[in-house]
Amino acid sequence: MTLPRLTRLTLAVSAASLLLGGTMSTATADEHEPAWAQGRSAEMAESSLAPHATPMTTTTEENLPVDDIRLPDGFSAEVWAHGMPGARMMALGDDGTLFVGTRGIGRVYAVQDNGDEREHQVIAEGLTQPNGIAFRDGSLYVAAINRILRYDDIESQVADGDVSDPEDLTEAFGLPDDEHHGWKFLAFGPDDRLYVPVGAPCNGCEVDEDTHATIHSFEPDGSDMQVVARGVRNSVGFDFHPETDELWFTDNNQDWISEHGPNDELNRVSEPGAFYGFPVCHGVGLVDPELGSEGSCDGVTMPTATMDPHSAPLGMRFYDGEMFPEEYQNAIFIARRGSWNRSLSVGYDLQVAKISDDGERAGLSPFLVGLHNPTENSFSGRPVDVLQMPDGALLVADEHNGAIYRISYETPDYAE
Amino acid sequence: MPLFQRAPSWRALLAMGVLVVPVFPLAAAADETSPAAGLPLEEQVQYCGTCHGSDGNSTQAGTPSLAGQPALAITNQMIYFRERLRQAEIMTPQARGLADEEIQALSAYYADQPVAEAEGERDAELAETGQEIVASQGCASCHASDFSGREQMPRLGGQREDYLVAAMQAYRDRTRGGPDTTMIDIMRGTADEDIEAMAHFLAHLDD
Repeated sequence: MTLPRLTRLTLAVSAASLLLGGTMSTATADEHEPAWAQGRSAEMAESSLAPHATPMTTTTEENLPVDDIRLPDGFSAEVWAHGMPGARMMALGDDGTLFVGTRGIGRVYAVQDNGDEREHQVIAEGLTQPNGIAFRDGSLYVAAINRILRYDDIESQVADGDVSDPEDLTEAFGLPDDEHHGWKFLAFGPDDRLYVPVGAPCNGCEVDEDTHATIHSFEPDGSDMQVVARGVRNSVGFDFHPETDELWFTDNNQDWISEHGPNDELNRVSEPGAFYGFPVCHGVGLVDPELGSEGSCDGVTMPTATMDPHSAPLGMRFYDGEMFPEEYQNAIFIARRGSWNRSLSVGYDLQVAKISDDGERAGLSPFLVGLHNPTENSFSGRPVDVLQMPDGALLVADEHNGAIYRISYETPDYAE
Repeated sequence: MPLFQRAPSWRALLAMGVLVVPVFPLAAAADETSPAAGLPLEEQVQYCGTCHGSDGNSTQAGTPSLAGQPALAITNQMIYFRERLRQAEIMTPQARGLADEEIQALSAYYADQPVAEAEGERDAELAETGQEIVASQGCASCHASDFSGREQMPRLGGQREDYLVAAMQAYRDRTRGGPDTTMIDIMRGTADEDIEAMAHFLAHLDD
């Protein structure tokens, strides 16, 4: 089989937008706009809305916002590891080493649990947004924007404190290296294949539906690429249902269309290769004002649940541990990094998605709150990923503070 | 937990292709730690001041002033240098081995220093042209309406004119690396004469 090779695309101005004369000012203005400002209208040019800078320095333990955290009765949060600026996506090794990716600071961390405390090392640095982290058969896979690396026998290397050169699988995977939405999430599926999303290289633009705004799967060596989902603007988190093996993923929708839309999404892949709407249809059927037209949402796979616009749902995992109450079995914990593209901020929390009996829809409720202060329109932390530990506790990565919290459960006294 | 973690070997990073070919000798680079690391703040400031000016107002051609910069702007650039995320053969060796707290203390110090008067004469016509281009480029939306900077976005007002020109050209020509590509997008295709006019206006903002 000849492997289709993914190539860099230039952003295309669609025929539709060329016909809409009134929208052309945004297209030309884009030439001198930073990536995050693409799609900002002329009227919004003076807007102070912009992504919040991620601190690149250590937050000291006494300044960690763990006391801000509020959880349902019986749950508690503690600092599990800290001092890792930019900590994002997590993967657990077979021997208990936790690996943590980052974006701007370019590092990959390894955390070893010595019982009472955790120690971390920097095992890679100087990479371009090494967000994606996955572990399988003793090897750590790292996805940076422009590279896929594999560190074999990584846990013994970490234990020895000397990590040698990784295998470079970049060529084999042949993924695009666009900066915009080019940071990647990684996870192995129950089919032992490696799943990699490729975000749209823009806020909104036409894309080749086989190469961008997609989720792909590969054999671990980078061969046999398949397109698992299309029309996915920017997924930075997914997991597989523990019983059905179905892929569920979060998706971040377009900025600057409105402060109050479109909604961000939780999706489910029941049919490989299905189309999820980008760039013409967003959320639960919002036709894109520039690239869409009547009927653009026909045939689009709708979300299983939607979240507040711009709330940025990222890492998500199904829970099948034994520590939490029965109602959380096969529910999904979703980390929301929190908004920037709306005046009244939203997110900065964990949501829990409980799936309907038919397995086709999900209902959301807040699980971890308190890092967002709506009255001050401020935040003290940004959850970006969750990970279930072997004992059933849940780890939460806080990118803003470079910390990982551990959520555990004990039946409250009054319930016994 | 140790604040400063062991980094992978220089050789390993080279083999990974993470690093560009260094302009300093490999042997020196392997154990490279900034001469300023671990010194008291006053001595660190003297060391930095050799190039950046004792009060953070640079009198050395091509070297930026640090006085009055937002602390986060200095901190982030120092970390880019330290983590080898921004190509800078001069600054990376100065930043290696500095702890986060040392960088933050230096940044806070320079943020507090007053900005000195600009060198050279202000050309009213050139400044006016520059002001128009700065307005059309929307620089104020990030760098603040008085161009004093904000959070990670540096002060432009009162910065050295030659440094502003060099920085803007480097963004335009994509020779200035770093994780934040915002300025690369903004400067794409901007003409030298426009850059020179903007730099003149900004450098002489308070004249």
